Amino acid sequence: MTVPAAGLSQRLVNWARLKSPWITVYNSGACNACDIEIIACLMPRFDIERFGILVKGSPRHADILIVTGHVTLKQASRLRRVWEQMPEPKYVIAMGACGASGGVFHGLYHMMDSVDKVIPIDVYVAGCPPRPDEIINAVVTCLNLLKEDAAHGGKEWRKKAVPGTSMDTKTSRVIP
Amino acid sequence: MTGPLTLDMVAGKMKDFGVTEQVRRNRIRITTTPDTVHDTIRTVQAMFGFDRLITISAVDNSRTLELVYHLTGPHRMVVSIAVELPRDLPAISTVSDILPPAAIYERQIHDLFGIVFPGHPGLARIVLNEDWPDNEYPLRKDWKPNPDTFYGGIKGEKI
Repeated sequence: MTVPAAGLSQRLVNWARLKSPWITVYNSGACNACDIEIIACLMPRFDIERFGILVKGSPRHADILIVTGHVTLKQASRLRRVWEQMPEPKYVIAMGACGASGGVFHGLYHMMDSVDKVIPIDVYVAGCPPRPDEIINAVVTCLNLLKEDAAHGGKEWRKKAVPGTSMDTKTSRVIP
Repeated sequence: MTGPLTLDMVAGKMKDFGVTEQVRRNRIRITTTPDTVHDTIRTVQAMFGFDRLITISAVDNSRTLELVYHLTGPHRMVVSIAVELPRDLPAISTVSDILPPAAIYERQIHDLFGIVFPGHPGLARIVLNEDWPDNEYPLRKDWKPNPDTFYGGIKGEKI
């Protein structure tokens, strides 16, 4: 696959994006422990603003979406809508045991069981809840992914080939 | 009234409504029938100052559905007014006309247990998702999720 060389303006945008990723946090039914850890990240002790990371209220302004918690049936369509509102390139971090597999809520009657049934995930953070330094590590990992994706010209290079499925994230839509 | 409230004071006045017992130090339980729950609440409000609703709890004891109205007042005692409803077509008239906060509890109980409250101003869904199928009440003991039923959310799809 040939990657077109990025122009000067595109390289400038990529550089700026790596220096200041904007984050939005979405609680899709978590117990709020993950949210408390994210708040601890924002506070002076961990101070994620020294990496240029800024938490924004709107997904339309964000590069990275942090999903805290499992996804309830009621939140699934809302989470998908939040994800669709984010501008490309967008990255998703699933936070905690709940984000990976549903955690202690796995198999309940009102659960989607994991975030990746609703939106594609780039980084998983382990822990219940993860510590703030692990969250910072996840965001930095996400930035490295962003850098590699910019060099490869998209996310397709790290997708595993699954026979019989669409590889294009842009074409995935809610099936009514 | 703000003094200590004892079981004897309550039981003497409430003997028309059902069995009164002291289940804990600060908790009095009155077991009554669905028809008289409205009058029972009015009476404990007027006579003993039980004018605040804590919550309405619903219990599925696998024979009947049980509703327990917990009320408290300035004397810090709690009265639990318990009624039993049949499992098929459980219905009890709403108490949201005398206790406005009861309306939101009744909506939740209607969602999860399928108990109908005639006279309720708007018995719409509140906790379950909007596309949850009708006649599925997940907190009943005999409820099992049907693998063929779509319970809402997003259908299985590879991303």
